[in-house]
Amino acid sequence: MLVVGGGLAGAVAALAARARGATVLLVRRSPGATALFGGAFGVAPDLDALPGDPLLGRRSPLESARRLAARRPSHPYAVLGVHDLDEALGFAGAQLSVLVEPADGRPRFLAHVSGGLAECGLCLHSQAAGDLRRVRGLAVVVGFSGHLGFDARLVAAGVGRLTSAGGPRSAAVEASFFTGPGDGALRPFDLARALEAPGAAEALGAAIRGVLPRGASVALLAPVLGINPAARVHARVEAAAGLPVAEVVSDPPSVPGLRLDATLLARLAGAGVEVLDGEVAAGGGPGRPVIVAGETVEAGAWVVATGRFIGGGLVRRDRMAEPLFGLPVIASETGAAGLTLAGRSPVSLTFRERTAAQPLLAAGVAVDPACRPLDEAGEPVHARLFVAGALIGGHEHAADQTGLGVAILSGWLAGRGAAGEAT
Amino acid sequence: MKHDVIVLGGGVNGLGTARDCALRGLKVLLLERGDLAAGASGGNSGLIHGGPRYMLSGPKVTERACRDSGYIQRLAPHLLFRIPFLVPFTSRRERQSLWERAVAYATEVFFSTYDVYQPLKRGKPSVRLTAEELYRLEPGLRPGLHGAVTFDEWGIDAHRLCVLNALSAKGHGADVRTWTEAREVLREGGRAVGVSWVDRVTGERGEARAPLIFNATGAWSPAFARRQGATVKMRPGKGVHLVMDRRLSDYAVVCNAVDGRMMFVYPHQRESWIATTDDDFYGDPDDCEATADEVEYLLEGAASVFPSVRQARLTRAFWALRTTLHDYGPNEDALSREHELIDHAAEGAAGLFSFVGGKLASYRAQSEEVTDRILRELSRRPVACQTHEEPLPGGEAVADAAALAARHGVARAVAGRVVYRHGSLAGEVLRLCDDDPRLRLLVCREEGILAAEVVHCVRHELVRKLVDLRSRLKLAVGACGGLDCARVAAQLTARELGWDPERTRRELAELLEAGWRERRAVLSGAQLAQEELLRGAHWAVGA
Repeated sequence: MLVVGGGLAGAVAALAARARGATVLLVRRSPGATALFGGAFGVAPDLDALPGDPLLGRRSPLESARRLAARRPSHPYAVLGVHDLDEALGFAGAQLSVLVEPADGRPRFLAHVSGGLAECGLCLHSQAAGDLRRVRGLAVVVGFSGHLGFDARLVAAGVGRLTSAGGPRSAAVEASFFTGPGDGALRPFDLARALEAPGAAEALGAAIRGVLPRGASVALLAPVLGINPAARVHARVEAAAGLPVAEVVSDPPSVPGLRLDATLLARLAGAGVEVLDGEVAAGGGPGRPVIVAGETVEAGAWVVATGRFIGGGLVRRDRMAEPLFGLPVIASETGAAGLTLAGRSPVSLTFRERTAAQPLLAAGVAVDPACRPLDEAGEPVHARLFVAGALIGGHEHAADQTGLGVAILSGWLAGRGAAGEAT
Repeated sequence: MKHDVIVLGGGVNGLGTARDCALRGLKVLLLERGDLAAGASGGNSGLIHGGPRYMLSGPKVTERACRDSGYIQRLAPHLLFRIPFLVPFTSRRERQSLWERAVAYATEVFFSTYDVYQPLKRGKPSVRLTAEELYRLEPGLRPGLHGAVTFDEWGIDAHRLCVLNALSAKGHGADVRTWTEAREVLREGGRAVGVSWVDRVTGERGEARAPLIFNATGAWSPAFARRQGATVKMRPGKGVHLVMDRRLSDYAVVCNAVDGRMMFVYPHQRESWIATTDDDFYGDPDDCEATADEVEYLLEGAASVFPSVRQARLTRAFWALRTTLHDYGPNEDALSREHELIDHAAEGAAGLFSFVGGKLASYRAQSEEVTDRILRELSRRPVACQTHEEPLPGGEAVADAAALAARHGVARAVAGRVVYRHGSLAGEVLRLCDDDPRLRLLVCREEGILAAEVVHCVRHELVRKLVDLRSRLKLAVGACGGLDCARVAAQLTARELGWDPERTRRELAELLEAGWRERRAVLSGAQLAQEELLRGAHWAVGA
């Protein structure tokens, strides 16, 4: 079987198919949106929760996904069904256990660099201690005195908004760090690399220990704790600081995104998935030979996980198109039937309020419950052609924070389905 | 506090007049409802051009604009950049017809007439180019052109021109209040004696008193006057510009839209712009946005000479309303760019004046004329105008970017952008890095904005809201839409202005909203992917 696209959805599809015994080739052009991942796997936020509702009583990602599906019939959770969501999340968590905390069916609440909050279903090990649902006492956000890129005060205030809901109290402090000449101008990746150096993580831990107020139960840090997981920056900082340490959720350019991308590649190799870097020529399909990165490949089943606009799975230039198969593109946020939008102008497909759900940005292909793309008549294009991830229309991560959950669920379904059909 | 004159509107006419009044010793209060240059003064073509087109309808307009363009070059040399224009000769067939040759000859004569005015603004004389010469200068033009005529114009950052006028006015004692809306004109016995205002940031309300009120609120002035029982007649004309992520060409190229209207594609700072539509606008000026058909109209016109614009990446479409004088009958392009000062005395509001029309390039002369009138109305003795000699802040000398880069340890290209925006004040901006090395953080790689410049701007350039940095620095205006810069700039601004985190988040949301409104009409290709990324990056900011 052939998987096109190496982001989270494609990787989960490949791994799920491999687990069912399929021989899998994955081709990817470049790191896509997954490499811009901020660290929190948004699955389904609790839409009915009010800001002051106790965190302990918040609904599980599965229950929230079920409620969302009931309201939005064109959301992938409604189309695919959420009965397998927990199993899919458990599978993904286990596959990525080097990086990711095991799923436990409960929502996690993490602080975001912007002072916002991320509600997620899975998170990184380096973030787990910062789950505001579990932290008791005082969460201390630690800034670097030598660097203005991360504002501890802003993040602490975001954390403080959950105190009345049973979250921890919060405080902001500055550790004397990154104060050397030129350090102030470093970018997140530079900071992360600098902390990988021998002694650097320990020095940061010591600096944190020196500024912690009494009663601190966790230190929240900028998401720059190393790019290479083997450098164990998080564990080293934690050991030296003498208390649990957690990274907050990043915005791009994202260090956790690079970590996830590297982890996916390592896991694919470990599972025996062959990975090729390159393009897939047009004209292929299940059972039809195609040139992939210069080699002729024939696969019994295909999973297309090429992403939305960032990944290049959809292209809009004059009109909207899915370039690989010419699949019909819909934007279904606005209606159950879905709106054929190939030729419509961007103004017609967006709303003036930026934060509204934007049909243009939720564009994608329609699928059946088995993740098979549908043609204009609503019939599967091919019995052994599947899609996964952001290429599926009807959701937009920025508007509903379900992107990673959809990637995992659809990847898992498509991978299993393709494996069943391919073997 | 009592003032001599209250100026309503922080566009170029209001600010130019406030500056002139302050320089001539009047006590001035300027109230602007939003940010400086929020209307037509910022959303124009960014050209201090002589308007050769107006030679036909009003040569006085052309002469005044050229003369004033020359003055602006002396006042703020750092803000100006030369833009050579090409006017290609088109033909419907392979060989030019007799008629088309005659048109070409007339065009050549037309621009040699314009040459008479060029020395006023240090412009170079026009040149007739053969087809070979034309394609050597710009190979990207469509095939089949029969040569061209050149003419010379100056580009400017119109937002910064307005900001500099505001800073100069303030420096000479004017009170300049942005985000403060004038509500009602206060009257006593048929005379305007002041205005009530509300601060849209703090909610504070107040009254200001002055014997003379100058309404320069542009496209908003008819509605403002109507609320006071007065009339301002105007034909607001909507002008939309398209912006590309890079320069398509180093030359401006004049072309024709589908309806024969003249338009042009031209380099502006790091970008190329397509200018412009001109359509009567009857709607609410606060509810104006670029539409899909305007975008297509401009693209089609530009592609008629530059086929590759269809492949170009559009990063935004911006719009503004020209405040053209009212005249029933002529189509939009034929309307005069003259200006008029309306006295509302006959409508029971003596002391209230409104300004209509005019051109960016002539703002200084227009302001001088208004200030002369204000002095007369106030029965003050005449004071000589100095606005054509007194440099704007930073315009005193041209700074050496390479030397500054070396001295303050920043990249040469970044220093160049700081010098462009701040002129001789660039050293003051970069000195902040010496005191606090953290301020060398490059907040925007596209525009070359350092944390130091954000801090300088917030401290010294009348910044009250994060969106004010759009006009001051082009922050979050470019192709990336604020992906990298928005959060960090918000943090820096919050530190300076003492914003709490909730306010910071709201300011950030407003900044992103402003960019979204300009990009919505052009989301395609890579820019659409960028939007997906941008939304993903900022989802946690909320509304």
